[in-house]
Amino acid sequence: MWDSAESFFGSYYIYWISVFLFIGYGASLVTLYLSGIILARRSIKRTKQRSIFLREEDIVSATDIPSVTVIAPAYNEGLTIIENVKSLLSIQYPYYELILVNDGSKDDSLEKLIEEFDLEQQDATFITQPIPTASVKHIYKSRKKKYTHLTVIDKNNGGKADSINAGVNFATTELVIFTDVDCIIEQDAILKMVRPYLEEDDKEIIGCGGGIGIANDSVIKNGILAELRLPSRLIPMNQVVEYIRAFLLGRMAWSEVNGLMLISGAFGMYPRKRVIEVGGFNPKTVGEDLELCIRLRKHMEEKKIPYKVVYLPETLCWTEAPSDYNILIRQRDRWARGLWETISLHKDLFFNRKYSKMGMLYYPYWLFFEFGAPIVEFLGVICIIAFGLLGWIHWPFAILLSFAAYLVGCVFSTIAIFMYVKSFDHYTKPKQVVELLLAAYLEPFYYHPLLLFGQMKGYYKKLFDITSGWGTMTRKGFKITKS
Amino acid sequence: MRKVLVIQEDIIILKILERLVKLNNFECRAIRSLDALNIEDQQTNYDFIITDILFEGIAPLEFVAQIQEILLHKNLLIVTNMGQDKIKQEIFALRDITGFYAVPIDLDEIEAIIQAY
Amino acid sequence: MDETTILYFIAVVFSILVIYWISIAVSLTYRRNRTARLEKIEITFADIVSRYLYEDPKKPLTLTEITRTLRNVGIKEKNKNNIQFLIRLMIRTQRTIVGSNFYKLQRLYTQIPPYGVSVKKISSWNWYRQARGIRELYEMNQSQYFDEIFKYRNDKNIYVRREAQIALVVFLGWESLRFLPYLKRNMTLWQQIKIVEKLYDLYPKPELKWLHRAYKTDRLFGIKLLMRIIRKYELHAETGYIVDNLNHEDYEVRETAIYCIKTFAVSSSTMEYIKNLYDDIPDATQQGQLLDYIYQNSEIDLDFYMRQLYGTNDDLKLSIAEILWNNGYKEKVQEFYYEQYPNSVLNVG
Repeated sequence: MWDSAESFFGSYYIYWISVFLFIGYGASLVTLYLSGIILARRSIKRTKQRSIFLREEDIVSATDIPSVTVIAPAYNEGLTIIENVKSLLSIQYPYYELILVNDGSKDDSLEKLIEEFDLEQQDATFITQPIPTASVKHIYKSRKKKYTHLTVIDKNNGGKADSINAGVNFATTELVIFTDVDCIIEQDAILKMVRPYLEEDDKEIIGCGGGIGIANDSVIKNGILAELRLPSRLIPMNQVVEYIRAFLLGRMAWSEVNGLMLISGAFGMYPRKRVIEVGGFNPKTVGEDLELCIRLRKHMEEKKIPYKVVYLPETLCWTEAPSDYNILIRQRDRWARGLWETISLHKDLFFNRKYSKMGMLYYPYWLFFEFGAPIVEFLGVICIIAFGLLGWIHWPFAILLSFAAYLVGCVFSTIAIFMYVKSFDHYTKPKQVVELLLAAYLEPFYYHPLLLFGQMKGYYKKLFDITSGWGTMTRKGFKITKS
Repeated sequence: MRKVLVIQEDIIILKILERLVKLNNFECRAIRSLDALNIEDQQTNYDFIITDILFEGIAPLEFVAQIQEILLHKNLLIVTNMGQDKIKQEIFALRDITGFYAVPIDLDEIEAIIQAY
Repeated sequence: MDETTILYFIAVVFSILVIYWISIAVSLTYRRNRTARLEKIEITFADIVSRYLYEDPKKPLTLTEITRTLRNVGIKEKNKNNIQFLIRLMIRTQRTIVGSNFYKLQRLYTQIPPYGVSVKKISSWNWYRQARGIRELYEMNQSQYFDEIFKYRNDKNIYVRREAQIALVVFLGWESLRFLPYLKRNMTLWQQIKIVEKLYDLYPKPELKWLHRAYKTDRLFGIKLLMRIIRKYELHAETGYIVDNLNHEDYEVRETAIYCIKTFAVSSSTMEYIKNLYDDIPDATQQGQLLDYIYQNSEIDLDFYMRQLYGTNDDLKLSIAEILWNNGYKEKVQEFYYEQYPNSVLNVG
């Protein structure tokens, strides 16, 4: 039918089919985003209203609240491990434990921990390990009474997912929180995170996430965020906007319809019992957070137990974002591979009535719009080049249409920034907000293409079976001020 | 004059305790966090320190340990919102704690301790 | 679609963008001013309360001075948000204090501005305002509105009925157990916790006759609530109620029972009874939790542990092995181990 690329792209039918497909896809996305804004607004308002009846000061003084363990894996974090652990220990919650998992670090992390916290080995002969992991060498507890809440697990290297699983095995609390050791967690984060568990009524809460913020170039003092600053470089600055949009609009909207399929691996809370039931994180995928959430949901659907996955709008965890384009591309490449792996691992969900809305709506959404978007975008670029070369594009019209699409994108980012500024006290200076807006408006010209490149690189690796692991994520480290 | 140091982040509790202490003829220094401590505070031997345990950036047990380490004092009273039995036991395990009062507090009890001193 | 249509579309989208820019600017300014105002109100209120509770005989605080000071920082009838913030401060203070100062505070509250604001909210059509009004009334112990609140105890909105039910406890104390375990709709964990906390803070002396009457309830949330009350008040004589629910058919009731029994040390005969119930618990994790309790609170009962060692669940067997190993029965564990793996497998002998 088409004997060359020229005749293929030059075909009248192909041209119009492409035009309608791309416009249809774009229009569907805009509709979804618009609905997302409405749902997110409702969800944020409701969360705020509910919190009036369940204040943190009430929770902190209550006796029957669930116990929580924060599990933080660490690999070669010797430079900052002491500050990081002290920061995690300072989280305010009465029934709180911290398990730090040293994942076979090759540096002096363990020695530093032993010295600073006066750790001593515990007898671990009979500790049960419901989830199989790389072998655990020793368990350590502090001799100092002020560090009674700290447990350090020293194990052979098995990766992040494997380390968290080891932490889950050793935890004894009802709820577990997974985080990265270098994350700065808000002091009242657990008090806020347990709220949905305390309020659960007819549906069991199987996962709860909180907003994650970018703290590059911010001032950290005593392990807490003393002064939140905007990153000085454009790439992390764009991630600030991206995270605000993703967490405040995306996650909150999905939370409102109980359609959340992902709780970020940097900060998520789960009932330990359920995590063990599904066998913990899958160490074979690099998208283990998404995969666990989907598996948990499937598990509940199969057991026919009503459940909910929820998100809180507040930023409860601060992290350092990739600060240059190489690391950013590596990160997005990994995320894309993780998404590919998870989507294919759970392909049985696709339009599967057995899994109700998850099979009929949420999974197809992830497939078409989360997994599919970079592909559609990439194809769009190819079509523009091809049709442009063939002279099929009416440039004045195309430029106007692109500008309109760009403005719509700007509106979405502006709304997200507005909602964030209105609801939270993090960015209060006019200069900061103007900088955020400018970063958002510049995003399509240099940041977005980088994301697309990273994602397509990940897909390419999966398509041609090119082995690649987590990749190294070099961090600059936070600016730490000693008191 | 006998001296008391009150450390409470909650301004209302801080002011109430400050008034209570002053009306009982103690000299009172009331601060909202450890950051507000000065060199003079570290050289003063306080008759009482009345403090919360919930402060930003420091674990409750470590906070108490730090207070015991850096401030001279004769009595240490804890007045806190996080007053579960478990926390109480952990705090007392640090030793040399005069009293532990969980919110809601009966201010008369604190007054009685101060008056008895 | 032609170029003109797109130009119109662009104009519309751009206008939306401008509206949001203005909204952001307004929001930033409002928040800045508001934060400063709230801080001022908080400091003023703290000062008033402290001076009221511990009055300086040389410089007494008059009601006129209180009202004037509050007005000066913006507590006026037309400033609803400021009044709302003041109510929040009042509640925060009230819930911090018990004893004679609690009643002193209550007296102050009847004299200062936001009178009437909370009770008006109860008749609102909006659930949020209604529930908030109820909460404000019970937190400030305004028991004269009991009748208005009582009718909402089975409201269809979870927040309205929850706050009304907590109000029952605040106003009626132990007598509220006449109603609570028999309510129509489920109670969340938080509601149970708050009821127990309020009861304990405001009515520290147990009135067992109400508790005994409530035992008749078959509502699951009611059973859980009663067990939590027994635990909080450490009512040793009532532990039988918790023990009886250790093998309840409902998972969560069992979970609460195991959680609550851990507060108590029981007699040896009760412990024997608990050991008998152990096998009836259908969930291995819960069995493990109960095993922990049995181990911590009783002498080593070799027969019991040996029976469990030859049970079916591997995790439980490991826990039993640990207990036996650490308590002088290493040979029993070794014997069990060799029985599992014949000599040929172990490559010995």
